[in-house]
Amino acid sequence: MKIAVCIKRVPDMGARFKIGADGASIDETGLKFDMSDFDEWAVEAALQLAEKHAGSTVTVISLGPDSVQETLRKALAMGADAAVQLKAESVPAGGFAVAQALAAELKDGGYDLILFGRLAVDSAAGITGPMVAELLGLPCATALCKLDVQGTSATGERQIEGGVEQLAFPLPAVCTIDQGLVVQARYPSLKGIMAAKKKPLASKPAALGGVGVTITKMELPAERAAGRIVGEGADAVPELVRLLQTEAKVL
Amino acid sequence: MDDGDRPVVVSTGIAMTGQNVAFLLVLVVAVSFFSYSIQRALRTLRVGLPEQRLDAPGRRTWNLLTIGFAQSKILRERGAGVSHAAVFWGFLVLTAGTAEILLQGVWPGFGYEHLLPRPLWQLFMLSQEVFAVIVLAAVSWLLWRRLVAPPKRLQGEEIHSTEAVIILGVIAALMVTLFTTGAFEYVAREGVRATHFGWFRPIATALGGAFGALSLGTAETLRDVSWWAHALLVLGFLNFLPYGKHFHVVNSLINVWFSNTSGPGTVGAMKPMDLEAEVESFGASDVEQLTWKNLLDGYACTECGRCTAACPANITGKVLSPRKIVTDTRDRLREKAPYVVGELDVEGSAEAMRLAPGAQAVLDNRLLDNWITEAELWACTSCRACVQECPVSIDQLEIINELRRALVLNESRFPEEVLPTFESLERNGSPWAFSPADRAQWAEGLDIPTMAEKLERGERPEILFWVGCMGSFDDRAKKITVAFARILQAANVDFAILGQEETCHGDPARRLGNEYLYQVLAKGTIETLDRYEVKTIVTFCPHCFHQMGNEFPQLGGNYEVIHHSTYIERLLEANLVPLQTEHGKRLTMAYHDSCYLGRYNDVYDAPRETLRRALPVVNLVEPARTKSRGLCCGAGGGRMFIDEKEGKRINIERTEELVATGAETIAVACPFCMTMMVDGVAKLEADVNVLDISEVVAAQLDPAHERAPLVAGD
Ligand code: SF4
Ligand code: SF4
Repeated sequence: MKIAVCIKRVPDMGARFKIGADGASIDETGLKFDMSDFDEWAVEAALQLAEKHAGSTVTVISLGPDSVQETLRKALAMGADAAVQLKAESVPAGGFAVAQALAAELKDGGYDLILFGRLAVDSAAGITGPMVAELLGLPCATALCKLDVQGTSATGERQIEGGVEQLAFPLPAVCTIDQGLVVQARYPSLKGIMAAKKKPLASKPAALGGVGVTITKMELPAERAAGRIVGEGADAVPELVRLLQTEAKVL
Repeated sequence: MDDGDRPVVVSTGIAMTGQNVAFLLVLVVAVSFFSYSIQRALRTLRVGLPEQRLDAPGRRTWNLLTIGFAQSKILRERGAGVSHAAVFWGFLVLTAGTAEILLQGVWPGFGYEHLLPRPLWQLFMLSQEVFAVIVLAAVSWLLWRRLVAPPKRLQGEEIHSTEAVIILGVIAALMVTLFTTGAFEYVAREGVRATHFGWFRPIATALGGAFGALSLGTAETLRDVSWWAHALLVLGFLNFLPYGKHFHVVNSLINVWFSNTSGPGTVGAMKPMDLEAEVESFGASDVEQLTWKNLLDGYACTECGRCTAACPANITGKVLSPRKIVTDTRDRLREKAPYVVGELDVEGSAEAMRLAPGAQAVLDNRLLDNWITEAELWACTSCRACVQECPVSIDQLEIINELRRALVLNESRFPEEVLPTFESLERNGSPWAFSPADRAQWAEGLDIPTMAEKLERGERPEILFWVGCMGSFDDRAKKITVAFARILQAANVDFAILGQEETCHGDPARRLGNEYLYQVLAKGTIETLDRYEVKTIVTFCPHCFHQMGNEFPQLGGNYEVIHHSTYIERLLEANLVPLQTEHGKRLTMAYHDSCYLGRYNDVYDAPRETLRRALPVVNLVEPARTKSRGLCCGAGGGRMFIDEKEGKRINIERTEELVATGAETIAVACPFCMTMMVDGVAKLEADVNVLDISEVVAAQLDPAHERAPLVAGD
């Protein structure tokens, strides 16, 4: 089985963000980047499937500047067999442009299964996977928390409000992976890191489609005002109630 | 060598009797078999990796003399330690006598009396009997202890108790036959009675007197029986040695010479590792990936259990036993060696053995998992108590660390709590998921310059205050940071911090087996330090202190690193810290030794001296386990980041002990110990304060002299 996983390099979301000079992007200085969490689970899911089905290969694909090679290497260190960088100066904000570039790469790859994370934790759009499926004319199963392959078809499960939905679809297909499909993505061992240095990593220009959407402005959420200690013990209650009524207006 | 009227027999061949010839044969067989056994054992060491251990011969010989011959480590334990040392020294003296006896077996006329002046010879004879008595007494007490009242450290499945009893019995028999041979000689050989017996052989002489009623012939026969029994026991003992745990008698001295646990080299530094090396796997998961020295440790182990008795993990009911780590390594080597190097007697037998039935099972086994489990490895706090206690300088911790490396680097196996630690180290440059931007938040408003600011002003500060991740992010530890900064400012020290440019140096990753992550972080730190041309670093974290001072040189980072206990003591000694003269009431304090300060770096006095100098009214009390025998707080070796689920919590055990001293305050000199002690005190609901030594000093600063109006960040 040939599996492709499309992954995205994103900043560590725990960081304190600053808006860049253009007012429409984040200032990247001092930020640490890593694979988006959902994509990491997708890679793990692909590796587990490959382990179960002998003779499988896992190819990871990422679009972006050369720094994405680091993220691709991590996936190789986890155990993927090959990597492809679709080189672009930056990742366009419009998912469709990215989807077109990915579809162009995936089209003739002969993949049985194309995996995505449910969404990228930075942009949180969650649309690239379904758009690729559409462009390739393949069935698409989103936000899977279970995925099994039987020969030329697959079954999956997705969590919906108050229940579980079971799906069946033929291969090839596109799937996006939700939290919970794997317990945890594997930690790349040093052995894996060393082996990754020798695995193939191809770099080719991304055939980006037309850019439909652009970001015009970014804003940080309003600073939360510092907490205030009104007093201690029962004596403070009347003052607290007064403030909640007059200042916070929640009572 | 003429000695008056006694005949001097010099020629030998003629004097040889049938008995001598028989003994010569026995001797040749015994010595050959012994050398065969030794070669066999040495051959199995070739299973291990090569390692250079011939450097610093002077230092090694010094270790041999102090730890080996003077038995300095054995004597750390009263009772059994003294008995063992007595047996050992007795053996050294008695071995000289044994050599004489064996030589007389083939050369009847031989005797030290022909070589030594008479007074010296008499002294030698006296020493033989004195030591024989001491050995007999010691052996009896050890036998009693094995059979009647075994202490806890001599219990456990990995112990060969029967063997120990037999060995002790043989030693006792050796001493008895030594006396009886002399006694029967006294009766049978009237000719030498006057010259060879007397005050210098009190027991043989007295016993001989008691046997006086025997006929000459009977006495001569009994003498021969006694002599043969003694000689055969000696040779038997010698040949049994390589097959039992008493092989340590031979190996321990060799091991002490080759050991690095008391130097040469940097004590406590983990083994360097070349990540670029073209190797199949990292660390050690079986005996072939350990060095020959790790394997020799196995042969040197006396199974005395001192290590396990001192192990905080074992004491509090975890599965880890450092003795088992060593004996498992040895037993696994014995199991596997024939399939790797073959038996000594058959050429090419390793290949043949690998085809034999049952071979596959042995080859499929490995030291990791089949003998030593993951749970044992992760229980270790890397406190070094085992290494410190081992009388024959075995390095249990190196084996543990190598196995941990294999687990993490090859197989990505570690407790699940450790994953966020590794990820935070990678992403945030500290073991916790704090934003790197907040690293120097504690310093806001305290007028503390960063290296970058100093450089901008064209200044190069004398020292870099390395704050460390605990000191930067942990709320309790941040108070230590501020206290120490206040002392530096009060003493007008020219210092700076790295501020946001500081990141973890990777020590937690290294201790947790993740050498790769460690090297990435350590190299990054070295780069930053070198960029500012840092020469001297002061830190209050013993882990930072040890890592940067002792292990950075492996990666090319060479700095003078000083722990704050030593640094403050020096400031106080030079009268540079303005202190109040008002000390308040007398305060009882117990200082808890940090492993990485004490056993790793031999700093025991500086923190105590700092407390005494800053607070002359202090009444320093010591817990039961203290200084080099101090009990770990439980946080070392990455245990800080692993849940302690099994057994009693180590920090509770330690806090109980400290509280039992009656101290009102527990003083620490490590932010990790601080966390553990604060938690222990809270759990025990004890009315005890926990303070870092710098906080004690800062509280004594003379407000009139403080340079800047510092309001601590609490
Ligand atoms: S280093 Fe400490 S915790 Fe680890 S085995 Fe030795 S004594 Fe036990
Ligand atoms: S390793 Fe050392 S301390 Fe531990 S049992 Fe062996 S000889 Fe004794």
